[in-house]
Amino acid sequence: MLSEKIKQNLKNIISKYEKKESAIISILHEIQKEKNYIEDSDISELAKLTELPYSKIKAVLTFYTMFNSKKVGKYHIQICRNISCHMAGAKKIEKYISEKLGIREGEVTKDLLFSYSTVECLGSCGTAPVIMINETYYENVDEKKIDEIIEKLKVAK
Amino acid sequence: MPKVIIDGKEFIAKENETVLNVAERNGIYIPRYCYHPALSIAGNCRMCLVEIEKMPKLQIACATTVTDGMVIHTQTEKVKKARQDVLEFLLLNHPLDCPICDQVGECYLQDYYMEYGLKKSRIDLKDKNRKPKRRDIGKHLILDNERCILCTRCVRFCEEVTKTSELFINSRGDHSFIDIKTEEKLDNDYSLNIADICPVGAFTSKDFRFKERVYRLSSTSSICLSCATGCKIKVQHNNGKIYRILPDPNIYTNTWICDNGRMSYKITAGPDRLTKSIIKSEEHHLNKAIIKLFDILKEAKEKNLKIAILLSDYLSIEDNFALYYLGFEILKTDLIYASKEKEQKIEDGILINKDKTPNSNAVSQISKLYGIKKYEDLKDCDLLIGFYDDIEKLNIPKNKSVALSYKADKEYDNLIAIKTYFETEGSFINWQYFLRKTAPSVSAPTDTISVYDLCLKISELFGYYPKEKELNKIFNELKYKTED
Amino acid sequence: MNILLNDNFDLKTYITNGGYNALKKSFTLKPEEIIEEVKKSGLRGRGGAGFPTGLKWSFIPKTKTQKYIVCNSDESEPGTFKDREIIHKNPHSIIEGMIIAGYAIGASKGYFYIRGEFAREARIMEKSIYEAKEAGYLGKNILKSGFDFDIVVVRGAGAYICGEETALLESIEGKQGKPRIKPPFPAVKGLYGCPTVINNVETLASVPYIVIYGGENYSKIGVEKSSGTKLFSVSGPVKKPGVYEIPLGLSFKTFFYDWLGGMKEGEELKAVIPGGSSVPVITAEEAMNTKLDYESLQKIGTMLGSGGMIIIPKSQCMVELLYVLARFYHHESCGQCTPCREGSGWIEKTLNKILNYKAKKQDLDLIVDISNNMMGRTICPLADALAMPVISFVQKFREEFESHIEGNCKICGK
Repeated sequence: MLSEKIKQNLKNIISKYEKKESAIISILHEIQKEKNYIEDSDISELAKLTELPYSKIKAVLTFYTMFNSKKVGKYHIQICRNISCHMAGAKKIEKYISEKLGIREGEVTKDLLFSYSTVECLGSCGTAPVIMINETYYENVDEKKIDEIIEKLKVAK
Repeated sequence: MPKVIIDGKEFIAKENETVLNVAERNGIYIPRYCYHPALSIAGNCRMCLVEIEKMPKLQIACATTVTDGMVIHTQTEKVKKARQDVLEFLLLNHPLDCPICDQVGECYLQDYYMEYGLKKSRIDLKDKNRKPKRRDIGKHLILDNERCILCTRCVRFCEEVTKTSELFINSRGDHSFIDIKTEEKLDNDYSLNIADICPVGAFTSKDFRFKERVYRLSSTSSICLSCATGCKIKVQHNNGKIYRILPDPNIYTNTWICDNGRMSYKITAGPDRLTKSIIKSEEHHLNKAIIKLFDILKEAKEKNLKIAILLSDYLSIEDNFALYYLGFEILKTDLIYASKEKEQKIEDGILINKDKTPNSNAVSQISKLYGIKKYEDLKDCDLLIGFYDDIEKLNIPKNKSVALSYKADKEYDNLIAIKTYFETEGSFINWQYFLRKTAPSVSAPTDTISVYDLCLKISELFGYYPKEKELNKIFNELKYKTED
Repeated sequence: MNILLNDNFDLKTYITNGGYNALKKSFTLKPEEIIEEVKKSGLRGRGGAGFPTGLKWSFIPKTKTQKYIVCNSDESEPGTFKDREIIHKNPHSIIEGMIIAGYAIGASKGYFYIRGEFAREARIMEKSIYEAKEAGYLGKNILKSGFDFDIVVVRGAGAYICGEETALLESIEGKQGKPRIKPPFPAVKGLYGCPTVINNVETLASVPYIVIYGGENYSKIGVEKSSGTKLFSVSGPVKKPGVYEIPLGLSFKTFFYDWLGGMKEGEELKAVIPGGSSVPVITAEEAMNTKLDYESLQKIGTMLGSGGMIIIPKSQCMVELLYVLARFYHHESCGQCTPCREGSGWIEKTLNKILNYKAKKQDLDLIVDISNNMMGRTICPLADALAMPVISFVQKFREEFESHIEGNCKICGK
């Protein structure tokens, strides 16, 4: 279900673009900001409201990997697994996070706060290993830093 | 007009023509999957790669516009290796479904493999990508994502031809697959064309599924009679049974056919096909039925009863004129009626005509030439002969009717079992005024008869033996177009 | 442009350091003159392709139709993190470069396409664009020149392929990022079918300097066919990883020891990927004997690329690394054309087997064969970007791969 805020904001977002269709990625980002994932029913609703074909919107949703089609944690941890982060110990970081939270890739913690996935190069290789939680970068991470970050997030509003 | 050289031969190309089109026009076939003449260019299959001098990399023929002096090679080692490699990539994750796949006999993968591939597989079966199979996509189609080579012909068809955009590519890379909204059904009126254009067995027709091997089918060119558009079709049959209809693409009338027209062959067989005539509620063999009908007509004539004849927009020119002859010359009745003129136009922007009958333009001409009355003028009669569909539409009392029919219907006392136009010839004039003929592909059930032959036999029983010239003179009187 | 600026990126700082003077000067020149200066400078595309920028601009037809400048800030090439640095430290240089480029080709609108993960950087750009607009450097009749220009920031959503020019345009238009068939090229038919120039962040950020000091002076930096400075983003176990601005032609040896401080304690140099994972790998020896410019690197069979330099130590197994790269390209392939779509998955699967000691002898030649069969036959160079690492890794470090096939690896510990 799209929120009222999104529905009211649609015209505004679309006005920034030269064609209605071009606003799709931006709108999907907005929807994801609210509940950290995008449901199929959101796409159906969006198709009706914008009068764009469902197929075009769903095609975009499934093509771009930042969009979550399945429910994720309130804080979705994305661990870079590409070359420089790999050399800097990304696998150890992944193992640590997985064991610390008690989940595997694709799963969500029982308190619904955390989930993780491995992603490709985040463009900050000089400060490897790098992780991204929702849309925030954390660079030069080690086990200690991860402990701090997770504790902070657990108590955050 | 640019001059190009392909494989050493010089050809004159049209302005802005692609290498693939110039070559094909001149008898040089370049293999391809994603290219289709009625759809936009995708350039994704990479099968049509050719060598063009002065260009370092191979170029795709479907998207390369020719320039004056271009020299193209389609048979060099480089090109042959490219085709072989592209085929290897296409077959890499393709399932070994041939034994159960309907596409066999018209499969681009099989055919090109034999022609250009012949490489042994270098991947273990267990390593092949798995994807959803046997998906019920709509009224007429089944989708097998594993067999799909992602040429996007189907996606482009839905976007560009039917403009309904149901299909899309879900995900990316080798995980991508053709998809549709979950509860939605792909049932726009042209969905079965997708099974035609799918070069592999990804989209298959539910109706044709598992019924017959393509290479056992014979093809007969004919026309569709589901509406006034009168699309040219190919009727495919084997051993006296029709299995499917395909469009016969042409520049005059149609590239595609609608799903309705595609299914029209079903009238030939099935539980409600009328295989024996019914006279006075009793079933009879053909000859007996004709005699009994003759008896009814003779009696009616002697008692001076009002006998009406309905001409039909559903029947051929030959059949209509024979009915007219029977009524006017033999039964000496002037109670002959035909439909009023119908509005004709393509009502969906593609093929389906507002006029759902195939022969209005011929019958309306016959009506004018011979002063035929209109259906609306029909008030009272004691006996009526007409085509079943017309009688049904006009709500004529069934006990007064002799219906010429393919369908059995217990409500009628008198039904004459006639041949369908899949079983006999018939001339029709479509909305563009083209005169075209159906051709029989299968034999009709033994005790059926064409309307023309029925009228002839009745005439003979009345002692008249009209010459063919007499019954065919109508063709000299009608106005129509023929294809160049 | 000075990369040693503080992380203080507001308009005031920029102007204090001479910002927007190049724009002012541009309006005193004719658009063709600016294109000439850029041509004279020898500036080449800094995103990876190295195409001469002035030449690219000159392809735009001189007609009075809608045209666009697009800044490619997709930066997803593994090992590359230099454009992010420019956004952090000098965002206005990009904006100024875009406006000047727009003026030079007659475009009234610019799009700043930034990868979705750079959310913070997108906000920085939006703030900077707002600042510039408020100060009159963007909008209608800029500095009373009669020239209108506006920039819109558009975010991606996680697709490396959108760094390819035409895939980027597809993404701005709101579609899946699948590269278009070329020709027609973007200069003729680009964004929304209009003539478009797409330039990398660093390329555009270099433009203000060229306008102020002149193309000839810019060409005096660097070496003959590789003029100017280049940002190198260095990662791997060196003492000082990070972003560096070097004069092109600098020897790798000097760069490695004097600038990067050499390897970290306990590590030894084995291999170098000089310009982002898509360029062929070179051995330590080859690296030590080469200079960092387009021609020198091409001569030894690799490329300058994006300048995303990855330093590989002896303690790193090459098989494992190549597997990581293959997995990346497979993940990022858009899936449009056959060789890349199927070949990338095949290579990853086979490398996985080699990595886990489950491969057959012929599997090593197989991945090289697949790579050769992919190259040059696709719509865009992603297939080549996978093929080149595979071929070069196997060519230069074959023993490590053969070792894995035989069932052991000293580095991996089996």
